[in-house]
Amino acid sequence: MTLQDILLIIIRVAIGAFVPLCFVAVSVWMERRGASFIQDRSGPNRANILGFRAGGLIQNLADAVKLFFKEDVIPAHIKHKFYFVLAPIIVCVTALVSFAVVPFADTLVLGDKEYLMQAIPTDLGILWFLAIASFAVYGIILAGWSSHNKYGMLGGLRSAAQVISYEIPMGLAIISLLVVYGTVSLNEMAQFQGQLLFGFIPMWGVILQPIGVVIFMVAAFAEANRTPFDLAEGESEIVAGYHVEYSGLKFTIFFMGEYVAMFASSAIIVTLYFGGYQIPWFNTATLLKYAVPVTLLLMIATPIIAKFVAAWIRKNNVSHYERENDPRVREANVYIKIVWGAVILLEAIFFLYLVFASGGAADNILVACLQICTFLAKTTFMLFVYVWVRWTLPRFRYDQLQKLGWNVLLPLSLLNIFVTSAIVVALS
Amino acid sequence: MFADGLFILFTVIAVTGAAGLVLFKHPMNGAMSFIVTLIAMAGLYALLSAKLIFAIQLIVYAGAIMSLILFIIMFLNIQEEDLPVEEGRFKYLIGGAIIVAPIGLFLTRVIKSFPGAEKTITVEGFGGIKEVGLILFREWLLPFEIVSILLLVSLVGAVVLAGKRRMVK
Repeated sequence: MTLQDILLIIIRVAIGAFVPLCFVAVSVWMERRGASFIQDRSGPNRANILGFRAGGLIQNLADAVKLFFKEDVIPAHIKHKFYFVLAPIIVCVTALVSFAVVPFADTLVLGDKEYLMQAIPTDLGILWFLAIASFAVYGIILAGWSSHNKYGMLGGLRSAAQVISYEIPMGLAIISLLVVYGTVSLNEMAQFQGQLLFGFIPMWGVILQPIGVVIFMVAAFAEANRTPFDLAEGESEIVAGYHVEYSGLKFTIFFMGEYVAMFASSAIIVTLYFGGYQIPWFNTATLLKYAVPVTLLLMIATPIIAKFVAAWIRKNNVSHYERENDPRVREANVYIKIVWGAVILLEAIFFLYLVFASGGAADNILVACLQICTFLAKTTFMLFVYVWVRWTLPRFRYDQLQKLGWNVLLPLSLLNIFVTSAIVVALS
Repeated sequence: MFADGLFILFTVIAVTGAAGLVLFKHPMNGAMSFIVTLIAMAGLYALLSAKLIFAIQLIVYAGAIMSLILFIIMFLNIQEEDLPVEEGRFKYLIGGAIIVAPIGLFLTRVIKSFPGAEKTITVEGFGGIKEVGLILFREWLLPFEIVSILLLVSLVGAVVLAGKRRMVK
């Protein structure tokens, strides 16, 4: 193994492991601010370090500190302490590992070597995701069972029944997708979506499989135990379901696991149906061909975008009443300086690339970076969809949930398979 | 060698899990150790470069079937006092092991005398998803379809049996 191999392994594993964890903070922030945006209030925006609030992100830090220093209780009535401790770990680790096969950029070609840009470079793809996602339910079952009380047990039972019944429509939606793409590897699926339909529409899964995307997303929401399918928690009925006995750090791990699972399933939805890392109309070959014009375009676009961002910060980061020497304006000044500093840094990198490195392996690295940014932007939007749905739809009743799964989604996904196969056979 | 080390690791885990399944008294412990065995088995399949079987082992056995079993264990909510008293179960265990031992020895001898036991996998893409699919649907289509009908029959049978018991009530 050369130094380059080792470096790329480290980079890929680091992206696969740390990006979901960083996005826990982002999605918790988005959950709170999104909820307050939808409910027409401000949300958490007061916690600060030396007056810097980072739009509410500091609140997460405060929460983390609170959770770390809380007493971590294992109630005396719990007999199976091992399972009680194991359960949150299973939930968090399976969520993290299920992200490992999602490609965040196209195959990186450096010299004569090719690197699959995913944490575990395998072509098992969607099968790996299905396998690992089905393990997550063990965490919830064990938590509910070992908590040894009625609420925990009910939460665990509900969650298990829900995950088992929604795995079927999810699997069937994936089957019709496999018929379209002809592969299980997520990277090949994303490459397929870089093509154009009729020469001008990006061939994304959402266009080829309009019913499949709805079925898959509903099933993914159910698997992630998010509202409107969060019957396992159901605060108003069974207090908090399976994690009613958990406190302190073990609760934190459950909480993190939920958001990591949300991130992983957003990433899977994006990869399967929304083109993955592909920039619409610019697949990897096109980007490589026009690397220099694209860089020039980016060099022009970044200051313009930064100007709008700065204006937005200036407009919103003020006190809502008259104050002398408004500290929020002072805060905004610093943020705007940071934005412009980032712009200068980016411009310098682009300039150096254009002058010294264009045309070589740097093209491939630039394209990979652009694709990682696209992938993260799409995934962030999908995370917002999760938040959006949570604060828009009420929770299902349990019988409605099962009816939706078995009476609506299952026949619909079977029909989808037949229609898709018929069209694919007719066209080939 | 690295692969040999992994093989020993997985076999030890698999056998330990299987022993746990037999020896633990509480059904939850038994089920959890069985999951460990199934995952270790998946690792063994991966070592044989049977990628598809590896994934299916994880999805179907370790994932779906065992979560149903855990679901049932939780649903019945078995307490310590519900479990039967098993006196002298170690006596039975040791006796059984002594009786079964010759069969085990016989089996190891059979496996050792297999022709081509030293062979390694040579075909490119062996056990991959596409390769297995092509073989299954080209050369073994009829057996494959018969097996799927068998599964369907058992599914319908289960539904019919479950329905009948309800009608008697």
